Amino acid sequence: MQAEDYHDTVRPGLIAMLPRLKRFADVLVGARDEGKSLLGRALRRMLAEQHRYQRGTAIDVWAFGEVYRHWLHELRDQADPVARAKIDDARFGELFYPEGDGYFDAPVIAFLGALPPQQRLTLLLVYGEGFEHEDAARILDVSPETIAARLVRISASLADRLSARAPASAAAIVETLYPEGLRGSP
Amino acid sequence: MTELGDELLVAYVDGQLARKQTRAVEKVLDQDDVLAARLDALKHAHARLEAAFEAILAGEEMDVSAVAVPQDDGLRISWRAVKVTLAALGICAALAAAVAGYGWPLSLPGLGPETQIEVLPPQTPVNGGLGKKS
Repeated sequence: MQAEDYHDTVRPGLIAMLPRLKRFADVLVGARDEGKSLLGRALRRMLAEQHRYQRGTAIDVWAFGEVYRHWLHELRDQADPVARAKIDDARFGELFYPEGDGYFDAPVIAFLGALPPQQRLTLLLVYGEGFEHEDAARILDVSPETIAARLVRISASLADRLSARAPASAAAIVETLYPEGLRGSP
Repeated sequence: MTELGDELLVAYVDGQLARKQTRAVEKVLDQDDVLAARLDALKHAHARLEAAFEAILAGEEMDVSAVAVPQDDGLRISWRAVKVTLAALGICAALAAAVAGYGWPLSLPGLGPETQIEVLPPQTPVNGGLGKKS
């Protein structure tokens, strides 16, 4: 890839997917303002280091991965990364209330807000963005088996909550779909 | 419900199963009401997650103008534009040189041997000219 092509490919690609990138950043940090701020910093870094983009890589997979890695990089610099990763429920709920839209699903919003960021992103990438497990795994730097395992656990948990069904007891877990060596550990 | 059930059903809902596995699951679902009810619950959860993420995206599309893509620092000139400009300048220079009489390839006066053209004097006819016959 020649130097001039980075600028021709990356910048228009990023502009075209800004709403999706913004949603990704918002779901990651759990608030609109912080999401905007994170995305701005990540975009500056992507444009400054766009030579790292490789032809043949889907630009959205690359860009989502860059935002996630940027967030992770900043989180590692925090004195208390765990506390920094926690979100405010009220501000997280504001993400779901676009003006003029009647959407309100309090149980689902509360459920998503209680999940760790990586698990929220797993749901967003597969169910919101429609990525294959392999691409979601590439973005979040985990194995496809980990993505599959997260989806099973989170989907089952949400289905239980929505149907007020008691979760399965450990004794009932007797078989698995995948061989033990292939199962991810989210 | 066992973990096998949820793993298999989520993979089924997500379209991750091979054709043979899909047929096997559908065969079981036809005969097992409990499993079918669990599948409905997982599909319902899946649909509500999709709706939640759609609601966020609808808000982002209204709000995205607030996120300005950072401008580049300084003047950025594409290398392709530089190459095209240099090529155009070269062609113009060559045309100007041709118009000025240097020809192509360029031959500058004083550089290299000039082509000598021998000019022969007019020849006098031996018989005094045409039209005269002896």
